[in-house]
Amino acid sequence: MTTPNSPDATLQHFVSTEPFDPKVASKIAPELERYFLASQWKLMWWKLKWHRLAVFSGLFLLVLYGTTLISEFLAPYDTHTRDIGHIYAPPQSVHLFDDGEFIGPFVYGMDYKLNMVNLKREYTDNPNKIQRLRFFCQGDEYYFWGIITSRLHLVCPAEDGTLFLLGTDRLGRDVLSRIIYGSRISLTIGLVGITLSFFIGMIVGGIAGYFGGLIDTIIQRIIEIIQSFPQIPLWMALSAIMPLTWSPLVIYLAITIILAMLEWTSLARAVRSKLFSLREEEFCTAAKLMGAKPSRIIGRHLLPGFMSYLIAAATLSIPAMILGETALSFLGIGLRAPITSWGVLLNEAQNINIVVLYPWLMLPVVPVILTILAFSLFGDGLRDAADPYK
Amino acid sequence: MKRLLPVWAALLIAAAPVAALWDPGTAMAAGAGVAFQETPSLAGRVAEGKLPPVTDRVPQVPSVVFMNAKDKTPGRHGGDMRLIMGKGRDVRLMTIYGYARLVAYTSDLKLIADILERFEVKDGREFTLTLRPGHKWSDGHPFTAEDFRYYWEDMATNKKLSPLGPRKKLLVGEELPEFKVIDERTVRYTWSRPNSFFLAGMAGAAPLFIYRPAHYMKRFHARYSDTAELKKMAEKERLMDWSVLHLSKDRMYTLDNPEMPTLQPWMNTTKPPSQRFVFVRNPFFHRVDVAGRQLPYIDRVILNISLRDLIPAKAGAGESDLQSRYIAFEDYTFLKESEKRYDQSVHLWRTVKGSHIAIYPNLNTKDKVWRKILRDVRFRRALSLAIDRNEINQVAYFGLARGGNNSIIEESPLFRPEYRTLWAGFDLARANRLLDEMGLDKKDGDGIRLLPDGRSAIITIDTSGEKTEITDTLELIHDTWLKAGIKMLPRPAQRDIFRNRVFSGDSKMAVWSGLSNGIPTADMTPDEFVPTRQYQLQWPKWGKFMESNGQAGEPPDLLEAKQLLDLMPAWNNASGLSEQEEIWHRILKIHAEQVFSIGIINRTLQPVVVNNRLRNVPAEGFHNWNPGAYFGVYRPDTFWFAGKGKDRG
Amino acid sequence: MITYIIRRMLLMIPTLLVISLLVFIIIELPPGDYIESYIAQLEAQGEQANPELLNFLRQQYGLEKPAYERYFGWVTGMVQGDFGFSFEYRMPVSEVIGDRLLLTILISIATIMFTWIIAFPIAIYSATHQYSWGDYGLTLLGLMGLATPNFLLALIMLYFANVVFGTSIGGLMDPEYLNQPWSVDKAVSVLEHLWVPVVVIGTAGTAGMIRKLRANLLDELGKHYVTAARAKGLPGYRLLVKYPLRVAINFMVGDIGHLLPSVISGAELVAIVLSLPTTGPILISALQSQDMYLAGSFLMFLSMLTVVGVLISDIALTFLDPRIRLDQGTER
Repeated sequence: MTTPNSPDATLQHFVSTEPFDPKVASKIAPELERYFLASQWKLMWWKLKWHRLAVFSGLFLLVLYGTTLISEFLAPYDTHTRDIGHIYAPPQSVHLFDDGEFIGPFVYGMDYKLNMVNLKREYTDNPNKIQRLRFFCQGDEYYFWGIITSRLHLVCPAEDGTLFLLGTDRLGRDVLSRIIYGSRISLTIGLVGITLSFFIGMIVGGIAGYFGGLIDTIIQRIIEIIQSFPQIPLWMALSAIMPLTWSPLVIYLAITIILAMLEWTSLARAVRSKLFSLREEEFCTAAKLMGAKPSRIIGRHLLPGFMSYLIAAATLSIPAMILGETALSFLGIGLRAPITSWGVLLNEAQNINIVVLYPWLMLPVVPVILTILAFSLFGDGLRDAADPYK
Repeated sequence: MKRLLPVWAALLIAAAPVAALWDPGTAMAAGAGVAFQETPSLAGRVAEGKLPPVTDRVPQVPSVVFMNAKDKTPGRHGGDMRLIMGKGRDVRLMTIYGYARLVAYTSDLKLIADILERFEVKDGREFTLTLRPGHKWSDGHPFTAEDFRYYWEDMATNKKLSPLGPRKKLLVGEELPEFKVIDERTVRYTWSRPNSFFLAGMAGAAPLFIYRPAHYMKRFHARYSDTAELKKMAEKERLMDWSVLHLSKDRMYTLDNPEMPTLQPWMNTTKPPSQRFVFVRNPFFHRVDVAGRQLPYIDRVILNISLRDLIPAKAGAGESDLQSRYIAFEDYTFLKESEKRYDQSVHLWRTVKGSHIAIYPNLNTKDKVWRKILRDVRFRRALSLAIDRNEINQVAYFGLARGGNNSIIEESPLFRPEYRTLWAGFDLARANRLLDEMGLDKKDGDGIRLLPDGRSAIITIDTSGEKTEITDTLELIHDTWLKAGIKMLPRPAQRDIFRNRVFSGDSKMAVWSGLSNGIPTADMTPDEFVPTRQYQLQWPKWGKFMESNGQAGEPPDLLEAKQLLDLMPAWNNASGLSEQEEIWHRILKIHAEQVFSIGIINRTLQPVVVNNRLRNVPAEGFHNWNPGAYFGVYRPDTFWFAGKGKDRG
Repeated sequence: MITYIIRRMLLMIPTLLVISLLVFIIIELPPGDYIESYIAQLEAQGEQANPELLNFLRQQYGLEKPAYERYFGWVTGMVQGDFGFSFEYRMPVSEVIGDRLLLTILISIATIMFTWIIAFPIAIYSATHQYSWGDYGLTLLGLMGLATPNFLLALIMLYFANVVFGTSIGGLMDPEYLNQPWSVDKAVSVLEHLWVPVVVIGTAGTAGMIRKLRANLLDELGKHYVTAARAKGLPGYRLLVKYPLRVAINFMVGDIGHLLPSVISGAELVAIVLSLPTTGPILISALQSQDMYLAGSFLMFLSMLTVVGVLISDIALTFLDPRIRLDQGTER
């Protein structure tokens, strides 16, 4: 309650003189009513909206994941399309004006010369070759969601033209398209992995926290052991033993499992500590007295209490997963070609030649950074919103 | 103290049975005397009496290297040469680069006596080897016939040290040679039939060592050393018994026992493991230059071990004086840029493998249906025709290499154009026709041909997954094979898993290096073309059969393979060069027609980074494992540093 | 408190045992053994492997024995200080490891110190100037450090260091100092090379630490005693130092338990990329060639480092934080 603190205001002491009937419910403002009646999730949502940066990040992530649904449509080329006439081509810039005249978005065609002294491919823009971009056009064929084939792309190069907005790699493949296709794998691996972690963490942590005693000690020890393991070497060891005979999909799943194997521990711990503090609460005792089974108590009463916190914690773990996949693929022991992921792209760029001569191939690091930033900010916001004490 | 080279010795050299061609000049002009010059870096120790003077250090009949061609000039002593390697075991490269051999190849691939003063061959089955008088090991102890005897009697035929007998190259069939010590400088090996592997084996990059420093090794041999002593020594090193101890000390090739004397130009002074190995000159090396300087010119060679992937970056930062290992063609542009900043040059040497990488259909695969198909020559021909070698050449090698079969290349005197081009063009129409003819004309929904048992023709190719050029090449091939109705799935694996899969027959097709020697001469063995070893990935089980003398594997049951098999002993027993040549051509023809392995690109280029102050390194050369020993045949002991400058270690 | 320490130390033993079992299982999982991969390597280079010799070796090194025998042999040996035999290097594992473990520790310590030195002032500034531009800016910067896959940066930084400073590429010192005894020049060379790996490994940890420290500080600053102290007139600075900072330091020390494993493992990754003479590069090649004792011992060392580090941090925390002493220590 704020008191007016202008110097000459006398302190108002207000007591209502109206008759008082304790049985009459007092009216409160509709907003307050909404506030008190709101569910936990609604509360969280309102708090989250305040945190502008988090909301922005959340939207960004939504859009990002949305694009993975229509990657084929967005990418100008297929991830495997090669143009051997344009190997290691630098990024092309889109122009709108040619000689002061507005002709819509276009790129200049490239002339190619091989420098025979140092065997360098030299590309120069040819101002006479104007290649207009086409939109909603027919490009490389793709098999959309395994259901229909289509050739519709958002943007394509001009007929017989090129559109390498981020340059090409050593086989003449468009870097931008590969990044778009790669986002599918890199983004979803994080989600799948974290879901796995989440469930394992919840179950294990729930059991430990609820039952306590010997079970708890054992589980704690196990968690400690796993956490003592140096992460990267463990991943290395596990990946080194993974037979490379498996199909790409199986390898993908195996990698998510490997990544999840180390992440669930922090979640389990969080669950456990929360359960410890909550299980002595009276609503829990009441449920027990009414004959509820432990699983029901844990699942229906305890967990929802801090689910929001868990979700926030999970969101904050996703970056570790994405980085983990990137690291593994980068080391060559995670995903490999022909699967396209950001980690695989970065692995191909791990080369002094690339750093010095073809630096555009290192651009996949940008989406990695942005995604992780977004997850971190969004997770931060979630956590702040979920914290009932703020 | 100077001493003139005896005239008779000079004449002896000039009269060597094989034209003593040192690259690129001839040996010492007869009659001229040579005054030896002391090596500056050793002068101190000589003055203190710790080392004998140079006249006593070189053999009385040293090997004289005459340099008077465009690439080779006489140099001076001094300097440290830095090399960068990828793992500790690469120390063995000093044996390879050093290339001191009993008999050695010149850079035009002629065999000459190197460590040996001379050698005589009678009927191809009797070899008399004569050592140089006064030749000493790197610790000063004399190098004599005893060192050969020790190897033969106490190692190669000793049941404990060699439970399965001596090395294959020392046997003709099953027959051991008769070994005789003629005098303290001469030994003789005799078989009843010709052994054509013997000399070439001794001149190999990883050579056949038929001698050891007996005075050193005897300490670890039960026959010459106290058993109790040996047991103590073995236990100290956690080894089970003296034979393993002996083995662990015997590091002629790998050079990772610094205490073991050697005959190579540089000797190791660093015990492994280390990130940096320092090799110093061998004061008793047997070669000298025309001006009487004992070789090698360079005082020390420093091997810095680094991570493989970083080596191109390091070479581009001037951290190596001579580098070809671990840098590839794709690094050329980057390395070229370093020429200005670091006073070094980047040359391009030719490779002479039959094919840089080749595809090997496994004729011994377990899958019955595929085995039948792979054995049908039409299938192999079709696959070969469905490869656009030109595209691969353009993409990976800027069109500077050449497409062709996995066969010998132009530089070989046995070359004929059809060996390279037969069935190696790009002709999808013909490939499709061949496959239709074979009865594989039905296709599934994706356009892939159906095998007789209804499966789609999807073939997994096993690779050891290490180089991106393999992945890239396979991608390109995948697309063109698809147009012929065959789908190819690359399957990378670790090397030993890869190997086992091929050997056991689980693998249907593998990618590997092509022929290691694409420039054979008629007197070189054609064993790469004939089932002889398990590691021939197109017929591993037949190779194993031959390797194990029938104990394991399967006998060849394909007509043409059997023909090849018969040609091998024919070559071995051939009475002369022209007969050997004729047999070679028969072998090559069979291969060209049968397409036992599918070649892709040959004559690729290998960048070689050379410090500008390092002389006598040719700007153009060939870079090959065997023959060639990478730099070996160009004699790194004759490389020298000119001008002033900080020799960084 | 002594009992607490002793209890923790005793608990370390079963932890390590279980880890050793896990490590052993992991190493043993791939089919084949070292000899096989050695043969494969030799043959791949066209060199003949001497099969009798290798079978012989297999017997000598006990590769024929069943798994549990080898495991027990290894574990009992380790307790006595004998870490087995490396096939690749043909010498005892302890000789191979030699300096490398020391350097790993050196880098880890340097990185942790770097992390502290950088994170501390930044976190304090951020917490005390919450929602200011500085706060936002630094937070963003920190997050970027967290988000960037720094091993990618490693190569770029190596090149940059080489072009601008003339530092030799990779390694922890110029090659000529490698086997030399320590000297001023050698130390300088190490410093010149050290900053790249430390920065690379440290950025992620720094960013994480800044965020956590800031959050903790904010928590503390919001507490009642701070408000009370401020109301009583304690100037901002002194207030900060007297209590919240102490709590923050507690937290930093306690967080070593999380920081250390990630620093060590990050160091492994970076060591591979930068070719540092630490354990990373050897570990990966030992894993791939199935040099069993070497790889296993390495993993054990790294785990032990982590466990010991966590133990030290826990013990340090008991000194710093009386609550733990009194609670007999629950979770961090």
